[in-house]
Amino acid sequence: MIRLLMLAATLMAQPALPAPDAPTPDADKAAFRETYRTLVETDTTLAHGDCTLAAARMADVLRAAGFADDRLIPFAAPDHPREGGLVAVWPGRSTSLKPLLLVAHIDVVEARREDWPRDPFALTEQGGYFHARGAFDDKAHAAIFVDAMAHLARTHARPKRTIKLALTCGEETNGAFNGAQWLATNRRDLIDAAFALNEGGGGRTDGKAVGAGGKVIAQTIQVGEKTFANFRLETRNRGGHSSAPRPDNAIYQLAHALDRIEAYSFPVEFTPTTRAYFQTVGSARGDATGKAMLALAADPGDPTSPAFKAALWQVDTDAFLHANIRTTCIATMLDAGHAPNALPQRARATVNCRIFPGHSVEEIGHTLERVIGDPEVGVTALPPLRPSPPPPPLDPQVIDPARRLVAKYWPGVVLAPVMANGYTDATFLTAAGIPTYGVPGLWGDPDGNGVHGLDERIEVRSVLTGRTFLNDLIRAYAF
Amino acid sequence: MITRILAGAALAALAAQTARAAEDPGEAAFRATYKELVETNTTLSSGSCTLAAQRMGAHLKAAGFTDDQITYYATPEHPREGGLVAILPGTSAKARPILLLAHLDVVEAKRADWTRDPFTLIEEGGYFWARGTFDDKAMASVWVDTLARLKAGKVKLRRTLKLALTCGEETSGAFNGARWLAQNKRDLIDAEFALNEGGGGRTDGKGLTEGGHIVAMSVQVGEKAAQDYRVEARNPGGHSSIPIKDNAIYELSDALIHLRDYEFPAELNDTTRAFFAKGGAVFGGPVGQAMQTVATAKPDSDAFKAAVALLDHDRSFHSTLRTTCVATMLDGGHATNALPQRAGAIVNCRIFPGHSFEEVRTTLQTVFADPRITVTTTEPDHPIAKAPPMDPQVIRPIETLTARYFPGVPLVPTMSTGATDGIYLEATGIPTYGVPGIWANPDLNGIHGLNEHLEVASLLKGRAFLYDLVQAYAR
Repeated sequence: MIRLLMLAATLMAQPALPAPDAPTPDADKAAFRETYRTLVETDTTLAHGDCTLAAARMADVLRAAGFADDRLIPFAAPDHPREGGLVAVWPGRSTSLKPLLLVAHIDVVEARREDWPRDPFALTEQGGYFHARGAFDDKAHAAIFVDAMAHLARTHARPKRTIKLALTCGEETNGAFNGAQWLATNRRDLIDAAFALNEGGGGRTDGKAVGAGGKVIAQTIQVGEKTFANFRLETRNRGGHSSAPRPDNAIYQLAHALDRIEAYSFPVEFTPTTRAYFQTVGSARGDATGKAMLALAADPGDPTSPAFKAALWQVDTDAFLHANIRTTCIATMLDAGHAPNALPQRARATVNCRIFPGHSVEEIGHTLERVIGDPEVGVTALPPLRPSPPPPPLDPQVIDPARRLVAKYWPGVVLAPVMANGYTDATFLTAAGIPTYGVPGLWGDPDGNGVHGLDERIEVRSVLTGRTFLNDLIRAYAF
Repeated sequence: MITRILAGAALAALAAQTARAAEDPGEAAFRATYKELVETNTTLSSGSCTLAAQRMGAHLKAAGFTDDQITYYATPEHPREGGLVAILPGTSAKARPILLLAHLDVVEAKRADWTRDPFTLIEEGGYFWARGTFDDKAMASVWVDTLARLKAGKVKLRRTLKLALTCGEETSGAFNGARWLAQNKRDLIDAEFALNEGGGGRTDGKGLTEGGHIVAMSVQVGEKAAQDYRVEARNPGGHSSIPIKDNAIYELSDALIHLRDYEFPAELNDTTRAFFAKGGAVFGGPVGQAMQTVATAKPDSDAFKAAVALLDHDRSFHSTLRTTCVATMLDGGHATNALPQRAGAIVNCRIFPGHSFEEVRTTLQTVFADPRITVTTTEPDHPIAKAPPMDPQVIRPIETLTARYFPGVPLVPTMSTGATDGIYLEATGIPTYGVPGIWANPDLNGIHGLNEHLEVASLLKGRAFLYDLVQAYAR
């Protein structure tokens, strides 16, 4: 999961009414908790977990609710037997409306027992929070979606749209087998949909749990994300003995290249989503940065004008906003030399680029070469190469229902469309022609809830309220 | 065995020498020793000096050395970094021994970076190619061969000859055999003086077999001190999708670019003044004139500055004229998708005699001009250099033999820009000299770098020269 929640820190609190308390009495709530517990307590780390097992357990839940076997399609690549997943299909009535796809990843980031205050794979409820690895990312969504599908079967629902669920493995580990990518490449028909709902959006509190008197102050829907590529910069030299330095030196040549990259700023640009985000959040903030956001989001005018430059300077003081309006490339790793007393024969750096939608990895590589301006510095894109699809549209049939439901659940809270600086599996699905949106609903705290880190946790109310919100959202899209 | 030629026309002597070398029946045995030593990987990471020492000891034993004349040594913590000391007793009770010193270990060599396997000796185009062909397995195998020949030939020598093969010369901070011997086996290696690497010849740019010629032979008298400094930038880091302005890698890059553009001031001492004065006469032309100018002109004069500017085009002269510091290693970051929390470099300095480690550290800190950059002196591995005397009983035989083997080639005393193990011996009162004989091209033959090589003629003639030199001292 990308840390989207922190971006909402740029929103100022709007007066918000207390969130509706627990949803109406629900006989299925106990069944949902059991599904959630089962999923969270199934270790799905790459190192020693098993996504295939987790997918099989979720298939059992759906089968028990009434899914026929031919509507449950487990999948696993033969060379990755423990990194499998599940596709479930609940048919709709309409022959003209395309399906809705719910996608969630079931793998989790590694968690070491000795580092955690408690067993990371035992779900604990304490102080109004669920604690466990995956309690938030992304097993809250996965369990809610499984529960929503089970509900369809139990109630013999007859939606207009066919509703599909894809549970996938490999989102958290760049370079590992990726289930979403595999489905998009190998089972495109099976997951075909008008659009997909995914992680990446969500809400944020004012710092206090809602159960402890805090408020949800922002909700976002993710529309598009930057893609990324790692580039290796490499210089080579004849080297020699360090007692007689030569004028040319692989390390200095690399340092010079890095200096050029440091000094370079990619041009400012907007998508409809980021423009809407800057407008929404800019007017909500009302401070100097908010005004500057509005100025940039308005017709950009002349980027060399003093007014534009002043607004940009102000916006760039915020690290998230700085990265949200351009491609960024940053040096993250260094390695050179083979002995302290020998001139370096090779110096290398890894440059991590977060690429604004609409630019290819190759194009960014050429830009780096041009910025460095030294043909002796090798610039190579490192695998895995991810696609760089155009962002999904700001489609009213997707955005409006979400906005209405956010207004109902959290009156006064603005729903901001946002482009993520990080990435999710949405890149693969969007590249395959299935526009993918990160849904609002689940909220987190400004501290990040230990996602990817120690003591991952999510407020119990966030899961339960999020569940009813997402059920309503699915109904709004599919019924 | 080569008989010593005491008189005769220089050219005739050279011809005679070459003819004898070609006929030398021991040459095949020497080549085998050299090949075996070069092909024994002695890098710190994956090699074994102990194995190399055992293999060289076996040659000595085959030549007649008894077990009590060969001492193998290695500390329990460094079982693969051992060496040997061999003793060939002389007849005189009064004449003090001479110590022949060479290191067995070599600088790391990555197969992926080299054109050929760095640990397979190849003879091609008149050159030997492999890691260690020059540094220092040429001298190590010549010393082993010299002792083996003297022993097998039952040559009577007045002085006792000692051979010390050591490990760890190339790796600052690793176990160092010469230091260990000097500190723990001082009696075993006691000598009036020691012969070591550090001297040698330099061609005009071409090997002799390629039509080049040797422009100078050097004897090393003293050396610069080597010291590594750790340069580091730190940062709180964060996720790479949200870069922040401060970045440890960029701060370090900026600092290193300042270092690239900095020059320590030029200076001279007695040895380097003699080097430039004698060398300048030979070199001739504008470069020779500049060498003589730096040896004589006032250091703040325009003539001096202009001469230095010219000489600085040559890497060796540049380094002989001053302290140098150069970045040799980099490391930084912990994940490709995380902002770096730390970026570090090793800066390797070669310090002109008379300056302290701390003085150079302070200079680096000033050059970097960034208080966020820390500069730490790594654990000093070498004592500060102490120059041995220009002793005539050491220098004169070298002059005589140089005139015979390399007629017309001037012999110049040099201060080595590199650090050798001589520095440890000198610290315990054994003056150590870098002897000539073996020559290199001005590009330094890939020593410590890629595709290290040594002209075949250089090794064979150097062997003959050094065999005669050892006898000249010991007889």
